[in-house]
Amino acid sequence: MGVKDEGAAWSIFGYLLSGLIFWGGVGWALDQWLGTKYFLLGGLILGAGAAIYLVWLRFGRE
Amino acid sequence: MRSLHLLKMEGEGFVPPSTNDFNLPPVFGDNPYTTKPILLVFLSVIVISIFFIMASRKAAVVPSKLQFAGETIYSFVRNDVARDNIGHEFMRFVPYLFTLFTFILTNNIFGIVPLLQFPAMSHVSFPYVLAIFTFVVFHYVGIRKQGIGKYLKDIMFMPGVPKAAYILLTPLELATFFIVRPLTLSLRLFANMFAGHLLLLVFILGGDHLLQGVIGLKLISPFAFAFGIGLTFFEFMVQVLQAYIFTLLTALYIAGALADEH
Repeated sequence: MGVKDEGAAWSIFGYLLSGLIFWGGVGWALDQWLGTKYFLLGGLILGAGAAIYLVWLRFGRE
Repeated sequence: MRSLHLLKMEGEGFVPPSTNDFNLPPVFGDNPYTTKPILLVFLSVIVISIFFIMASRKAAVVPSKLQFAGETIYSFVRNDVARDNIGHEFMRFVPYLFTLFTFILTNNIFGIVPLLQFPAMSHVSFPYVLAIFTFVVFHYVGIRKQGIGKYLKDIMFMPGVPKAAYILLTPLELATFFIVRPLTLSLRLFANMFAGHLLLLVFILGGDHLLQGVIGLKLISPFAFAFGIGLTFFEFMVQVLQAYIFTLLTALYIAGALADEH
């Protein structure tokens, strides 16, 4: 594994983490507010999806 | 049955290592600024200074062993970490990267040096401070190079994406650059040093405890110690790797901030 790949691996990890934390957090807050249960799950899936999209944009396009 | 009962009895006296083993009391009186990790950090600065002053004094074309060792570390950080990743402006950042690498490396290796045997980075506040330095450096460099407006725009709006997607992606970019990066940088170093130290404590304190048990347990004890020694070598590898990763990621973040679009 080259130096560049190692950097890429860690920034992919970072994006996935922020995706889950941010949109999962939004979902959790909506659940708290509305007294529902499913926004957290939806937020986590949306966040993971957005993060994978972002990773593809950044590393998969060229 | 009886021996099993004995084994159980033996097991009860053992206090497994825990986070309490990281909260060391002050060395001098009750001054809270003289705990072992803090003194080790000061010691590391002294050790690094002496080593590199000795290594660079009387520099010769045909290097002594010490000069060779010093130059190997320096050229590793300068060429393999800074130049290969940052590009033509790399020289400005070599002092910071070099300091970072040697500082983390020395403090990590203190974790397996007999008598010292404590990695200061297993206290999360030390990696936090280092990550804050890196955070300030790479954002400052980016803002200086590109202006604050363009720098933030480059982070927030990746080109070639439908406008609607920005609602999803912009928060992630911001969270990644301003929260996740410094957090993962510090927690990765902290967690590796913490877990490594705990692992060594388990095997070596465990081996010591087995040695005080009944004869059956005494016979097992050498295996625990052997494993402890094996893990010490493994720890050495982890310690070097973590110092390298921290420095490498700092260099990559700086490179990203300098690039026109990352």
